[in-house]
Amino acid sequence: MQHLEYNELMNDKIIFHIDINHCYAQIEEMFHPQLREVPMAVGGHEEKRHGIILAKNGLAKKAGVKTGESLREAYRHCPELLIIPPHYDAYLYYTSEVKKIYAQYSDCIESFGLDEAWIDYTHSKQLFGEAEAIGHAIQDQILRELGLTVSVGISWNKIFAKLGSDFKKPSGFTIITKENYKDLVWPLPARDLLYVGPATERKLYARGIRTIGELAQYPVMHLKKAFGVVGEMLSDFANGRDTSSVSKQGIQTPIQSVGNAMTMIHDVDNLEDVRPVYYVLAEAIASRMKEAGVEGDVIHISFRTAKLNWCGKQRKIAQPTNVSEEILKEIMSLLEECYDFEEPLRAVGASVSGLRFTRNHRQLSLLQDEEKHEKALRIDEAMDAIRAQFGFHSVCRACMLLDRPLTDFNPKGDHVIHPVGYFQGRKMIPNGPL
Amino acid sequence: MDLYKRYVDVVLIQKKSGGIVPLYVCWENGKKYKIDRIISAERRASPVGGCGMRYACMIQGKRRNLYLEKDRWFIESLQP
Repeated sequence: MQHLEYNELMNDKIIFHIDINHCYAQIEEMFHPQLREVPMAVGGHEEKRHGIILAKNGLAKKAGVKTGESLREAYRHCPELLIIPPHYDAYLYYTSEVKKIYAQYSDCIESFGLDEAWIDYTHSKQLFGEAEAIGHAIQDQILRELGLTVSVGISWNKIFAKLGSDFKKPSGFTIITKENYKDLVWPLPARDLLYVGPATERKLYARGIRTIGELAQYPVMHLKKAFGVVGEMLSDFANGRDTSSVSKQGIQTPIQSVGNAMTMIHDVDNLEDVRPVYYVLAEAIASRMKEAGVEGDVIHISFRTAKLNWCGKQRKIAQPTNVSEEILKEIMSLLEECYDFEEPLRAVGASVSGLRFTRNHRQLSLLQDEEKHEKALRIDEAMDAIRAQFGFHSVCRACMLLDRPLTDFNPKGDHVIHPVGYFQGRKMIPNGPL
Repeated sequence: MDLYKRYVDVVLIQKKSGGIVPLYVCWENGKKYKIDRIISAERRASPVGGCGMRYACMIQGKRRNLYLEKDRWFIESLQP
């Protein structure tokens, strides 16, 4: 057990990172304890091809099942795997109950997805006592009251606290201090660090950087030259110099983009067939933007081919918009420019960024047909009003009836859980407050 | 002793102060069991699955755990 002084210096923080172990699977196990006896995973609908593993239990993990892999791959690793469809309402409810427990100890809680959160315990120490004891108390309380195990990491910065909670699962408890971080953190592979994905890992590897320690000791100027501002940030992360603060509970950072993506029920090999699918996505994006009172001028598309390659492209448009017809027009134009359907498409996505609040006035354009814009906007608003009163399927565009199974999805209603980024709309400033 | 999770109807009193007090557990055969005494009420996970506010009750001289799980009730039952 480590009894170390956390805030020897006045400015040292005490940050907890708490992670609900294999969250979705564990909530299912909590409801049905017999699921603990069999390899089980929460996965999407195979018949609708949203078939990826969202979370797996301990036995499935032992059998080699990985989060994010397709159901087919998972069955190959573990033929007797039991797949449970996701129950998002339950996950939202129980993860919010877990966060209510955190709120008993601090008002500085920053969620990182549904299952993870940072808690700034610095000032709460005066009220509740030593961080180590409180970390264990939170773990015990969550297990006792909600039947869920969590892993806890404690450190003086958010990055190392997160690494601490990843150290041991389930029910891990790791304290990373200024005295032990070189022993604990530096031997870890560089990919364990936040913002080091497969592409960055490959680039680091090419420079002989394999571990977080090697990244920490690599000259910053070389990293900056290779990765830009991200290089400097990674160096800070690896050296424990992340000074970002934990957001206060309830503070919402402004949204940066609005988007949706969908794996199609069957592959699509031409522009015309994919158009209705993008129409559904554009409608959902436009509707969400209007609800948020924003419009945007950067349209981004992404798609995955049948061979599972991801591609994307974006374009800035002259006039900000939140009208589905205009978003779709740009999407189709971008897709036509950048893809020739050499391989059929499996999944498609789109988003709008460059957001600003919708203004009451609008700069008229000499080049754009303003009457057409008004008409398209009124159609969107009418459809949203009908759907709000009578349900999503009460109205649709005629083109969506051409291939009903392909367009029979509700991206706005079906997807309530949005991934979050570490910066959550804040600016990335290496070695400085976010 | 094997316990089973059984969702049940509950007759309760909603207090003007805001709390609730369960009074009767209603079984599927229509029989109502009076809750003689509530020993404790605290948030707990149940070994039969689920979690919520656990009311440890005395019913006909025996202790039974009754849970308010989000918006419905279940009891740790001796009968499957």
